[in-house]
Order: sequence, then structure tokens, then C-alpha cells
Amino acid sequence: MNRWTAIIIQELLCTARERLPQLLLAVFVGMIAASAFIGSSARASVAGVYREVVRQGLTTAPNPFDALSPLYYARNTVIYIVLIGALLAIVIGVRSTLRDRQARTADLILSRDVRPSHYLGAKLTGLALFILALLAVSAVINIGCISIVTGHAMSFDDGARIASLYAVAWLFMLPFVGLGMASGICSSSSTTALLVPIVIWSVMIFILPLLGTAAHPVSLLNPVAAPPAAQSGFFAVTSSLVAPLSLGEQFKHVSALILSDPQATGTMTSGLLIIAAFAAAGCAAATMTGRVRMRSELHD
Amino acid sequence: MTDTAISTTALTKRYGSHQALNELTLSVPSGEIFGLLGHNGAGKTTIVNLLTTLMEPSSGTAVIGGHDIATASNQVRRSIGYLPENVQFYDNLTLAENLLFFARLSGVRAPGARIRDVLEFLDFTGRENHRMGTFSKGMRQRAGIAQAIVHNPSVLFLDEPTSGLDPQGVARLREIIIALNTDLGMTIFMNTHLLAEVTKTCTSIGILSSGTLIYQDSVAATLDSFPGQESLEDIYLHIEAGQRS
Amino acid sequence: MTETLTLAHKELTDLRRNRFMVVLFAFLAVTVVLSVVVASADFRLKIADYHHYLDALAASGNAAAVPAPQLFPLQMLRGGIEYLEIIGSLFAVVLGYSMITKEKGRGTLQLIFSRPLGRYAFAGGKILALVLLWTATVTGLFIVITATLLLVGNAPLQGGDYLRLALAAAHTIAYLIIWSLLAMALASLTRRTGTGLILALVLWLIVVLIIPQIGDTMDPDNQIPGGLFASLQVDASHEQAVMAHFTGYETTRDLIEQSSVTKQYERATFAYLGIKTEYNQQPLGFIWAGTFNNTLWLLAGLALSVSAALLAATKKTILRKAP
Repeated sequence: MNRWTAIIIQELLCTARERLPQLLLAVFVGMIAASAFIGSSARASVAGVYREVVRQGLTTAPNPFDALSPLYYARNTVIYIVLIGALLAIVIGVRSTLRDRQARTADLILSRDVRPSHYLGAKLTGLALFILALLAVSAVINIGCISIVTGHAMSFDDGARIASLYAVAWLFMLPFVGLGMASGICSSSSTTALLVPIVIWSVMIFILPLLGTAAHPVSLLNPVAAPPAAQSGFFAVTSSLVAPLSLGEQFKHVSALILSDPQATGTMTSGLLIIAAFAAAGCAAATMTGRVRMRSELHD
Repeated sequence: MTDTAISTTALTKRYGSHQALNELTLSVPSGEIFGLLGHNGAGKTTIVNLLTTLMEPSSGTAVIGGHDIATASNQVRRSIGYLPENVQFYDNLTLAENLLFFARLSGVRAPGARIRDVLEFLDFTGRENHRMGTFSKGMRQRAGIAQAIVHNPSVLFLDEPTSGLDPQGVARLREIIIALNTDLGMTIFMNTHLLAEVTKTCTSIGILSSGTLIYQDSVAATLDSFPGQESLEDIYLHIEAGQRS
Repeated sequence: MTETLTLAHKELTDLRRNRFMVVLFAFLAVTVVLSVVVASADFRLKIADYHHYLDALAASGNAAAVPAPQLFPLQMLRGGIEYLEIIGSLFAVVLGYSMITKEKGRGTLQLIFSRPLGRYAFAGGKILALVLLWTATVTGLFIVITATLLLVGNAPLQGGDYLRLALAAAHTIAYLIIWSLLAMALASLTRRTGTGLILALVLWLIVVLIIPQIGDTMDPDNQIPGGLFASLQVDASHEQAVMAHFTGYETTRDLIEQSSVTKQYERATFAYLGIKTEYNQQPLGFIWAGTFNNTLWLLAGLALSVSAALLAATKKTILRKAP
């Protein structure tokens, strides 16, 4: 076993054995499973409302839900990835590098013939594999729950779309892992190590979209990206500046297109490129830290 | 003031099935500098935690300055000072603000004058308005002593007081501990690993092994009782080896 | 009592000099102000659109009277309140958590508890410091908000508006104290650094984001793009008549939402600020009658969090969990 593989395996073991990320993981997987059933309950209520509206003779329109595909049940998954998935990525990233500083194992590692970038790159790879496995399990659970709710097995095409959603989710979570790792190395205390990436996350998810779209923060919990504000005056300037940085909105936009959401319009190329650029930047930030910082003491 | 500063009777502490302290019976007369020796995990910090009322015993009793740790814990706290191992402070506060805080918590009536005395005694004059974050390890340890004596306790507990200090720092702290005992009349109970320091500082010692007190006597009597051994370190190893066999 | 005041005084001095906390509060203030600026820009855009529309009507020879968009200045605070709801509570969690972990990390707990303190003096001092800190911070924030409304939004505020702002501020203080105290209790009950914070964050995630999101998802009208009733061409009066047949489902949905203290806070403040249309420009008595249960639930949450912090931060509990 070479050093690279040894570090990856060690990282996977440490992350899998940490109880706290497991708690977030349980919330994440639980919500993914629950989302289909929440959607089903809402759909049943819509069907009831529709029957009542027809009975009172208020409409002749067809039930709007009949036109929606089974992928509709996966739309809430997107918001859980933006909220819980990103936080989980931050927590495991922070814990990964903080662990070495708290236990002073960084000294043991750096006193050997290991380049810091090589070591951190292998750790990041380990965490990326961990998230990949987690998302693969979540995708299977999601497909299973939707099949139960709809009463029939999901078609290959729909299954492929769900798989694509989780592939993009993996790319979306990577920058947060990198950000967490970098913060775990650079922060002076474990509190700031967790807090700084969470503040950056809240800026990207809740504050930047407001500047570009005038969308209220709570409405950003909607799984479909907020429509842009009228492109004149204030918003013409801000939206072109902040839209590429609103990672959550970009992910929601791409996901809505993947899930064939009728509200989503446009193409996913620019969104995918932005998410990939963030992933590359996050990975670079995590692996480019120097030896001195990795050994710095924590002041908790 | 009673003649016995610290006395314990069958003091026991269990953590689940692990017996950290086993029916410890110990007596330290007033005016002593008592050094408690023992290997890592022998139970030294557990004793200090119990005697400073930070922990409750599983069974047994202890009396500090005439007050029972279980029934009169607040009186015990008024009569003791405590310096934990690797003491830390509020780094954003100055030395004087830290001391004022601890003095007030200890119920000192005129803290300003008392703090000035303590700062002068510990050679801190001129540094009182510096933030703790700027202090070296040695200065922090002295500041730790300052917070422990700011309310003029009669018994002082020091947990590994010389841990992490350079030789100059160790020598300076030794002078302070002896001065606290001789000039201010405080009884001092200290845990330590540095046996050379014990010879120079303490008047009596106790040896703890796996939660049991296996030896207690004055330093002078101990050195006399083991003529074949060259130093306190040799005596300690000899007694420990005798216990194991 | 003296030791409680001493502890609270030390805490406030320490926090005032903590650069990181100062940056966090400044960040919160900037965020809230920014939301007011964005809301006022959005309103100006609506006014400009309205004038363009009037010009277009005039050019086509149409003299129909179209009402201008009305400015209700306090409604511009919607984004700001939502930021306090989400990001403010996040900072409150961090603040409450750090109150305990800094003592654990520095080893100062032993220094404090080796002194003759009353059983609840330590927790009492921390709680008092949090109450004073949030009262001062939120008051400052609302002064900044009011100034922004007056200067940036050019909003004509009346005497009653200031009272509504004060009521919203009082709710905000209670809401943020709840989060700080819950985090403080969790930090007291956990041994490892970070464990309490992550537990508090999970709680924050569930209460602030997930439960309201579930409630929102369960709303039938939110299920269809553009709204269910709009897609069925059913107007508001008929909508109520139809929904009267689904009271059980709506009650369940409402209960889910009400289990979140965030929703209680949001409903009460949105009512007092007139953000919720049915309470806009209504007298305070009317608003109180409609939202007193939200305020009472918020107060119950406050009582619960104070009790949790008092019980969790006693010497016995906290030292057992000290590293």
C-alpha cells in the first residue's frame, strides 16, 4: 500500500467513526427518505383539493398534478443538499484537519517524508470518496422511496436523472469540504474553524441571491432558483456581479433542469461550469496550505 | 487555625468499576510544604480535585482547615487556593482584570489593595495592565499563583506547578512557593514529577501508587531512613519497586 | 447575587474585546441594512415601472386611473427580519456555545468553581450577560434599521411605527436569547470541543430551516408552479371555502410549523411590522388578538431555555463534562 492509499483509508476510517458527522448524516439521509413521503402527502392533499374544487363547479381545468412526473418527489432533495449536505461537507472537512491539530498528529506526519500538499490532497480524496459513497446510498434510498410512493418502479430515464442530480450534488459539496479543511488548518480555534465556513456558506446561500434577485431569504428555501429581478438600475449591476457567486442558486437551477421542473428554464452549462470552478477552487485552497500552518497550535 | 491543615479518612473515588483512589488516609500539618509523588495515573490529580471540592468522593471524608469537604464545601473553598496544571486565563482581559474577577468571586472585600500586594509580592508591578494573551508560560504560572492567593487562603493546592517551565522559571517558582510558606504561612500541597524539586522545596512527602498511599514522612526523615540510596529519586524508585513486588 | 454580577461583568468585558464577535455583530448589522437597501431599490423599481405603465397608457390615449404601488415602510424589513431569523440565530448559537467552551478550553472552570459560589451563580452570570448583550445589540441593530429606513428608504415613519419597531425588537431579543441559551446548555452537557456546537447546529438546522420548509412544502398552494388555486382559476374567496374542507390537514401543517420557535417569532414580528398583509395598518389590539399565542409560545421557549441553561451549567454537571 503506498502513502496516498494509506492516507485515504485512514481518512475514510476516521470520518466514518466520528459520531457527530454521523448525526448530520442521519438527518440528511432521513430527510432524503422523508422528502418523497412529504411530497406524497402534499400530492394527496392537492388531489383532494382538486376534487373539492371540481365538485363545487369552480374549475374545468385538468388536475395540474397529473402533468407532473415522479421526479417531482425529488425536488425537495435539492434543498436538503443545499442546507444539510453543504453543512455536512463543512463539518467533515473541518474535523479532518482539526483532528490533526488537536491531537498534535500533524507533527508525527510532517516529521516523515510526506509533502503537505500530497498529504492534504490524499485526505481530500478520502473525503470526496466518503461523500460519493454517502450520495450513492442517498440516491438509492431516494429512488426506492419515490418508487414506493408512486406505486411502481422508477423508469430508467428518471433513475438516470436522479443519479445525475447526485453527481452534481457531489460536485456542489466538494468546495465546502475544501473550505472546511482550509478553515480547520488556518483558524486559531475550533470554534472559528467551524464558524468561518458556515458564515461563508450563509453568505452564498442567503445573502448573495438577495442582492441579485431581491428574493427574501426564506423564499430561498424554495427548491427552484429565484427568478432574476428586473434587469434595470440597481439589480442590473448586482445580479451580473453576484449571480456567479450564488453557488446555491446555481445548483438549484441545474438541479431543477435535471429534474425537468416545469418552472426551470434556460441551460445548465454555465451553472455546471460555475459549480466545477468552485469545486476546483475549494480543492486548491485545501491542498495549498503550508507546513507551518498545519502545525500551528489551537487556542480554544 | 487547627494544627492539621489537611486530613483525609478512607477517601475513595471510583469511576465506574475503576478505583482511582483507594481509602486514602492522610494528614498534613499546618505550615508544611507537602509534595505528593506518584506515577502517571496514580491518582494525584484526583486527590487534588477532591480536596479542592471540584469532585465529590465516592466514600470517605476529608477536612481542610477544620472544614469538611462534603458538608462545608463553601468554607473549604474560602480557605483554599488552587493552581491547576497548565493554568489558563481570559486572554482578552488584563492581569489586573483577571485578578479582580477572581478576587471578587472569592469574596475579597477590598480587592484593589489586596491585588496590589499580590502583584508586588510576585514581582508583577508595571505589568498589571497588560493583557494575559501577551504573557509567557512562566509569567502565566506566576499569574496562576496570584489568582490562587489573591484571597489569602491558608492552604494552597498546586497541581504540577513547574510543568513546562524552563530552569529559570522553575527556580523562580520555587522561591515563590517557599516564600508563600515561610512569609505568608500558607500550607502547600503540591503534586509533582520533579523529584529534585521536591528535595529543594518540600518539607514532607507522600507517595501514591495506583490510588493507594504507600509512604508518608518528612523529607529529612526520608533521606535519613534510606542510607543506601543516593537521592530522593532512588528512594522513590526503591519504594515503588517494593510496592510492586 | 454579587458573584453573578461579577461573572456577568467579566463576560461582557471579555466579549467587548473579542474581535471575532465584534466582526460577527458588524456582519449581522451590514446584512440587515443591506436587505433594507435592496428592498428600497426594489420599491423604486416598482414605482419606475408604474410610471412607465402610466406613460404607455397616456400615449395610447387611455385615461384609466391605476392605483400607484403603496409604500409601507415597515414592510421593507421583511428581508432583515428573515436574516435575524436565520443568520442572527446562527450567531446566537455560536455566542452561547462559546460562553461555555472558552471556560472549558482555558481551564478557568476549575478556577471559578474552586471558589464559594452559589449553585446557580455561574449559569446566572452567563445568562445575565447574554440578556444584556442581546438587548444592547438588538437595540443598536433596530436603531440602525430605523436610520436606514429614514435615510435610504426615504420612509415617512409615524409615532406608531416606532412602537411597532420596538415590539419587533423585543421579540427579536427573546428569540436570540433562546438560541444562545440552548447552545449554552448543550455546550455544558457535552465533553468534547465542537460536539456541543455541532449538536446545536443540527438543532438550528431542524428548527430554523427544515421544519418551516416542511410546513411550506405541505401547503397545497405551493405545490404547483404559480400556485394551485391560480392554475385552477379559483379566486381568494372560493379558495377559503374549499380549504374549509381540509381543516384537519391544515391543522397538522400548522402544528408542524408551530413546533418551530422560528415560525412563532416570524408570525409575531411579521404581524407587528405589517409584513403579513392581514395585519398591515391594523391597530395593535387587533394584532395582539391574532398573534398573542405566538408571543406566548416564544416566551415559553424563553422560559424553557433559561431553565435548561440554569440546570445544565451547574458545577456538578459542567465539571463532569469538562475535558
